[in-house]
Amino acid sequence: MSDFLFELGIEEVPASEIKNIVLQLKDNFKLKLDENLVKFKSIETSATNRRFMIYISEISEKADDKDEQILGPSKKISIDENGQPTIALKKFMEFNNIELSDVIEIETKKGLYLCTNKVTEGLKTNDILHKIIPEILGKLTFSKTMLWNESRVPFVRPIKNILCLLNNRLVKLKFSSIESSKFIDGHITLSESSIEINSFKDYIEQLGKNFVIVKEKGREEKIINEITEIENEFDVNVKIDDKMLNYYIYNNEYPVVFKGNFNKKYLKLPHEIISTFMIKEKKLLPVYNKNNKLLNTFVGVSNIPDENRFVSDGNEKVIHATFEDAKFFWDNDKKDNFINLRENLKKVNFQKDLGNFFDKTERLHYLVDFLLKETNNNHMCENIKQASYLCKNDLVTRMVREFPSLQGIMGGLYLKEMNSEEDIWKSVYWHYEPKGFTDKKLKHFGAGILSIADKIDNITGFISKGIKVSSSKDPYGIRRDANSIIKVIIDFKMNFDLYELIELAAEKYTKNEEDKKKLVIKLQKLFLSRIEIIFRDLLNFRYDVVNSIINTHDILFIYKSFLKATDVSKMVETDSIDILIILHKRLKNIIKGFNAFFISEDLLMGDEEKILFEIYRESKAEIEKLAINNNYIQACSKIIEMKPVIDNYFEKVLVMAEDNKIKENRIALLQCLNELLSKIADFSLIIESN
Amino acid sequence: MSLQNIIIKLQEFWSQNGCYIASGYDTEVGAGTMAPDTFFRVLGKKPWKVAFWQPSRRPGDGRYAENPNRVQKHNQFQVILKPTPDNGQTLFLNSLNHLGIDIRSHDIKFDEDNWASPSIGAWGVGWQIMCDGLEISQFTYFQQAGGIELNPNSLEITYGLERLAIFLDKRKSIYNLKWGHDISYSELRTEEEKQFSIYNFEIANIDFLRNIFDQYKNEAKKLIESNLYLPAYDYLLKCSHTFNILDARKAISTAERTTLIKTMRDLSSMIAKKYIKDTGQKNE
Repeated sequence: MSDFLFELGIEEVPASEIKNIVLQLKDNFKLKLDENLVKFKSIETSATNRRFMIYISEISEKADDKDEQILGPSKKISIDENGQPTIALKKFMEFNNIELSDVIEIETKKGLYLCTNKVTEGLKTNDILHKIIPEILGKLTFSKTMLWNESRVPFVRPIKNILCLLNNRLVKLKFSSIESSKFIDGHITLSESSIEINSFKDYIEQLGKNFVIVKEKGREEKIINEITEIENEFDVNVKIDDKMLNYYIYNNEYPVVFKGNFNKKYLKLPHEIISTFMIKEKKLLPVYNKNNKLLNTFVGVSNIPDENRFVSDGNEKVIHATFEDAKFFWDNDKKDNFINLRENLKKVNFQKDLGNFFDKTERLHYLVDFLLKETNNNHMCENIKQASYLCKNDLVTRMVREFPSLQGIMGGLYLKEMNSEEDIWKSVYWHYEPKGFTDKKLKHFGAGILSIADKIDNITGFISKGIKVSSSKDPYGIRRDANSIIKVIIDFKMNFDLYELIELAAEKYTKNEEDKKKLVIKLQKLFLSRIEIIFRDLLNFRYDVVNSIINTHDILFIYKSFLKATDVSKMVETDSIDILIILHKRLKNIIKGFNAFFISEDLLMGDEEKILFEIYRESKAEIEKLAINNNYIQACSKIIEMKPVIDNYFEKVLVMAEDNKIKENRIALLQCLNELLSKIADFSLIIESN
Repeated sequence: MSLQNIIIKLQEFWSQNGCYIASGYDTEVGAGTMAPDTFFRVLGKKPWKVAFWQPSRRPGDGRYAENPNRVQKHNQFQVILKPTPDNGQTLFLNSLNHLGIDIRSHDIKFDEDNWASPSIGAWGVGWQIMCDGLEISQFTYFQQAGGIELNPNSLEITYGLERLAIFLDKRKSIYNLKWGHDISYSELRTEEEKQFSIYNFEIANIDFLRNIFDQYKNEAKKLIESNLYLPAYDYLLKCSHTFNILDARKAISTAERTTLIKTMRDLSSMIAKKYIKDTGQKNE
């Protein structure tokens, strides 16, 4: 058994691309080897920004022989009346280079056929690798490609070398004008270039000597350990998220954590600004003391040991200049009267053909007004409405033009700086959040209101311009915005009809009733599909439970629908659900195809019918009240209580009476019952437990 | 090391590596990329190796001489190698060595940064080169200019001279740098930075600038029609600089920005096509 070592040496690949490339390489190697019947034990991968390594253990030296059954002509046309081979059979034998004795009969669906068994000897693994590796590399996809040499092969970054050793012997191949060789590069500055590699063991040893920790885990542990050492030594917390950790792991072949300080005077800047500038601009981490207070210290990761403190000194100087920039933006923005910036929004387009941001704030004001009234929050009305006017002003500040990710946050900070009311600045600060359904809950109700208004206005605007969402493409974040709206509504238990909000939003983007109606339908569809997906996939409600509520008339009272789904989910865990399922199916079956009729008490015949009507009337009021209070479990119990009466009715009464008026009256009663059940859910869509 | 010594050292290094040492262009440009010695010469098949010092204007980057790193006029050293060499990174590291930087004791990183210069229809893929956290250069594989896909590709290396000097001279601020023997950066540049910051951010006459933008644009169009693509390109550069001042004055809305950039990109594309046609160099 042999092993196989492959390294693609490459100029620095963006950290964000690496994991995706590794996955593709691993999958494609496996696929191609399987396809070519080359056996192996395992595929191991490692990657840095300068190399992708594949190691395949116990790979067979040649592919398995291939047993093939080659189907020939049907027996009928192969043998003539004298029992001699026909032209068809002769051609078959000639083509496959076989004798008559190699031909056998086989029974197929189409009758008796002739065939032959052929064994193809497996190719040498060396030859297979020679062929498949250029194919594997050529098939890789990247988020952005470039051209660099005469091969004109698009790739993520220029390829430097291809190491390709099967059982320690070079597999010759060529990709993008680069020929495979036994040579690799080490660390970009700490090692000499062109290291000869003779085995996997050699590879790992040589890289170790040449300042490359090739295993991701090894680099991760080194970074985490060194950060922890700093935390322990100085009694501080270093905040690092996965994105930054990933960045460090894939931007350094020999990561070394360093620490530095900056002038305390910069701590006077809002801490959101400090951390944004540190992380986004300089890839450095903010450091906090045990009471979560930001310190004038930073931590970063270097690609070399910082023995002379050159790296930390250099970064200290750089961060000084960066904070000077931040201070310049902050101080100069504050010189402008933030409130007055709203006029400037007239010059800033929201989107092509969708008016400017000034107009947008007018719409937000209108939508916020509706939302506050519907959610009975008149007390904060003035402040949140004020916030809706001001929330986009920061788009024309220097800070946000430079760092768009600070939008909202800066508006909030500038307003806070002007001593504006807490409800105003907090609403502005967070109104771009949440960013999707799985994001954190918003910290402020007003921000939630403003967030819904902003997002419904985005969605409505984009959809009115004919922008579509497909399963793979959503460049305007329509789906994410819709998900966020659903989240805010559920998080803050907001009880209002999204349909009405949609109508208001659509009104602002359309000129006539007809266009408005069309737009409303599109929006309604979008939200129904989002609710369905979120309820099923993110909140993990059973799919039949989701089906049962998705078509109820008040589905766009989203919080209500959420409670309904919760209660119906509890109901489906009990035996009594079957009663509701059977009843609802039966009702729907009978009334199917009939127009809606009115009930007339005079036409009620017999006791069973009268009793059912009585009970219906009593229960209806109670059930409706329970439903209004979102107490769906009790509402279900009420219906279940009616079971004996309903059973009795079906047993004794023939709904399809001969007298048309009586029949219609009976249908009407069943329609009422159906309607009552449907106030909770369409139980007929729930799968019975047995 | 003084700034002028850095320039001399870089000229020396790249001259030794086969580059023609050109002079920077004499019309305002935002970067060495926009100089005709870059823009035209990366087009077509003909090999080209050039290095030059290019003062570059970025009106929005002015800081009234108060920021240690940022100025509205900075100095670039531009290198174009066409076709791209196989050992571009090594050449670059050697050039740092030539400047006296011990590359083994500094954290030198190739950090993803793909620049695009939409107003001349140009973009490239590459990195900003960080040295102990300071961006000292851009290293880019040029992909398109004037909207035309380049074949062969060129390697563009752009050194930020002030940044390099800060680094080499261990200064906190560029204003503490030495330019020549007895002359400091501060002495040469402080007043200029102050006055231009005031002009770019506060005083520049918006109506006047809009007006000349249109006139430059019309002139460029006329010149393109007369096949005078070189002067036409000068007027495109003037449009671009005027646009940058308007932008620093916050006079450009998002929608207008798109339109103006498209205007310039279209001009650049017409100019590039004229050049290729005229020099008989096919690009495919």
